[in-house]
Amino acid sequence: MNASPAILEFSDVTIESGSHYESGLWNSSFNLHAGELLLVRMEREGERLPLADATEGLVPPTQGNIQFLGENWQRISADRAAGLRGKIGRLFEDEGWITDLEVDQNIMLAERHHTRRSEKDITEEALQLARVFGLPGLPRGLPESMRRWDLRKAACIRAFLGQPAFIILEQPVRGVYADLLAPLISAVQSARRRGAAVLWTVTDLKIWNHPGIFATTRARMFGSQLQVEEKES
Amino acid sequence: MNDSGRKTVSQVSVCHLVLQSLANVGRFVRTQSREVQYLFAVLATTLFLSAQPRRWRRTVRAMFARQVLFFGVESVRFILIVAVLMGISVVVQLGVWTGKLGQSRQLGPLLVVVVARELGPLFANFVLIVRGGSAIATELGIMKTGGEVRVLQAQGLEPLLFLVLPRVLAMALSAFCLTVIFVFVAFASGYGFGAFTGLANPDPTVFLNSVFKAVHPFDAIGFLVKCLLPALLTAVICCTEGLSVEGGVMQVPQAAKRALARSLAALFLTSAVVSLLTYM
Repeated sequence: MNASPAILEFSDVTIESGSHYESGLWNSSFNLHAGELLLVRMEREGERLPLADATEGLVPPTQGNIQFLGENWQRISADRAAGLRGKIGRLFEDEGWITDLEVDQNIMLAERHHTRRSEKDITEEALQLARVFGLPGLPRGLPESMRRWDLRKAACIRAFLGQPAFIILEQPVRGVYADLLAPLISAVQSARRRGAAVLWTVTDLKIWNHPGIFATTRARMFGSQLQVEEKES
Repeated sequence: MNDSGRKTVSQVSVCHLVLQSLANVGRFVRTQSREVQYLFAVLATTLFLSAQPRRWRRTVRAMFARQVLFFGVESVRFILIVAVLMGISVVVQLGVWTGKLGQSRQLGPLLVVVVARELGPLFANFVLIVRGGSAIATELGIMKTGGEVRVLQAQGLEPLLFLVLPRVLAMALSAFCLTVIFVFVAFASGYGFGAFTGLANPDPTVFLNSVFKAVHPFDAIGFLVKCLLPALLTAVICCTEGLSVEGGVMQVPQAAKRALARSLAALFLTSAVVSLLTYM
């Protein structure tokens, strides 16, 4: 049993699928503490789930509670919610770029918005992460002009920038397996060491069974049912 | 059915038609008033947020600067051309007609009324609606349908703060600056052309005196309201239309069209109401 308060806590959460998702979420409960990693295996035919959006409080549950850093998304102001979302790093399943901004501006957008860190400081951290993920520097140019695998790496930089308390990785290595997996595992491990919790979704069995990903908890999606396996000690 | 029966049936159907028409009018008025209430609520919230320094984070400031560049600076050349042409035609026409009527002293007040009070704010806002309004609705509509608004929210950037506030304030600032430019250039070009063709007094001090004497402090208020209110409403209308797009990208042109029509209606309505209040 972990004594520290949970970073993320799902209590009997049910979310309807709506038009945006392929499936809903039914009566799901789990919690994630500092340094923990939840690996979720999605079904191939049900990849678009409200799980990541729900953890960020973007989709209200029809039943149950979702708490992030001890606060219920449903009971806090829009301001507070925006501030809390600033503590979350996310690698979006569908890339998630603002097409009007250059990639480097996209990467640093949230950090520039939520913190008073100097531009130089943010850029240096982003550059350091770029090297970790195998890029020679920060990618410039509009997202549409970038290659897909470079965008994936840029998305990794964005997810880890600013040392977020919680990191969501939505199928991060899809299509760029060989290139990205090793640096990603290393970045996840160092984030967990400093106390971040990680939610990692996969469909690929190779990733699910990868010996280098030391998941604290594993869960599988069966339709809208999230079946959580026992936590590893 | 006898005659009285037919009469009763036709009376009932006429009555039903009248009631239905009244219901439709009532429904229309209720819908419109709800939408107007919503627009003013968004506008009031935006202005309230903009008055708080902590909301002006560097990302919001950068977005504001971008929008000022897009709405204001990039529209200057077009406004200059329109102002020169408008100045020539209006100032010369007024110069000629006041001269013919023996009312040359009325040139200043007439210029202030026509150019500064009416045409300046109207043209500047019209240019902004055409150039900026449609761009706002289209851009935000595409962002909404493409999931970019959701991406911003997921990163903790509130659309009202990051997308709406900079656009609304940039539109207002641009409208004010473009109107001032329009008025000065229209006066200058009108005077220059009048002096060159001999239609106006070539002494610039006479021209300037007649204009400045005609300006009252109350004009400044009317000028500000006519500049700023339509611009604020245009930006709010276009932002809300863009952000309310649901479904596919095919809905975006519809939203842009609606935004333009409503912005133009708001512009002319505001202009007419302020004029009425000024002269009454």
